[in-house]
Amino acid sequence: MSHRETYQNKEIGLIDILDTVLDKGVAIKGDLIISIAGIDLVYLDLRVLISAVETLVQSNMDSDSLTSKRFDQEKEDLTHVTEQS
Amino acid sequence: MSQLFYLYGMIQTRENQTNPFSELKGIDGEHRLDLLEYGELSAVFCHVDEEEFGEEVLEEKTNQMEWVKDKAFHHHEMLMKIHEQATIIPMKFCTIYKTEQNLRTMIDSHQQQMVDLLKQLDGKEEWNLKIYCDRDKLSEQVSEHNLNIKKKKEEIAQMSKGRQYLESRKIDQYIDQEVEKEQEEFSSEFHDKLDEFSVNSTVKKNWNRDVTGKDEEMCWNSAYLVPLDKVENFLELVTEAEKAHGQSGWIFEATGPWPAYHFANLS
Repeated sequence: MSHRETYQNKEIGLIDILDTVLDKGVAIKGDLIISIAGIDLVYLDLRVLISAVETLVQSNMDSDSLTSKRFDQEKEDLTHVTEQS
Repeated sequence: MSQLFYLYGMIQTRENQTNPFSELKGIDGEHRLDLLEYGELSAVFCHVDEEEFGEEVLEEKTNQMEWVKDKAFHHHEMLMKIHEQATIIPMKFCTIYKTEQNLRTMIDSHQQQMVDLLKQLDGKEEWNLKIYCDRDKLSEQVSEHNLNIKKKKEEIAQMSKGRQYLESRKIDQYIDQEVEKEQEEFSSEFHDKLDEFSVNSTVKKNWNRDVTGKDEEMCWNSAYLVPLDKVENFLELVTEAEKAHGQSGWIFEATGPWPAYHFANLS
């Protein structure tokens, strides 16, 4: 396999994507000017959210068996809470 | 209901072109990707509803991190798909026009620049590199190999307890400085080697550990524009570096090929 194929198939992390799409790309002004918080802030927020979901899943596994329905319910609750904050 | 134009990027118009992206769903999950021809250039876009992507709505949505994550992923995925088929000038996330006329005006005023840029980017790929380093391991190595530090440590061992404390703190600070110097020198030396296979490169800011979520420290973050026939050499260097220095705590992460996010600059 060529080096190119090896690297091409590697998984790309969230940070790599945010580091490019939010940070770079041609910034010709569109009609809509939106401002997105700095990448580090976006990323930090996401990490908090992701680990909160992971903890939730973990604690559920410990108690009763995890159904996807239950998970969705929990996730929805969580989203609800985080959106309010 | 008003329809807006979400612009992914610009590509070169092909003869008798049909839309090769009509299978792809746009950022709202409903409208398909579409092409608009403007002479030599074609815009890859999708329609979005104003209710969902109007300025005020967007303002609010970009504060919802899950939304930003999902849509940023989508934006990237589409650009990758387009990039597989054509050289593209990638637009920044959420570049939106209110009318076709406005989009046309933007293209008109940058037409020649974009045509030239597409020619420059043709046959080249963007590759990104992040170097991480195990700081403890590096500190150990620096302490072992730096004669000044070795000597100083021996001296400290002979001192009284009070002075030992002060001098130890001083030497620790000195080691920290040396470690940072070593990180910078090592990385920039490697960067220079990669640069030889690139036609353009840019060095970016390092993210701290809170952001990367890694134990190792990011000490280099850069992007390269590499001609297709040099990509193998370029990546071979990374693989070799990983083999040679992985043991000593260095991690090399090369990702790509990306659309030329870092090298598509228009004034």
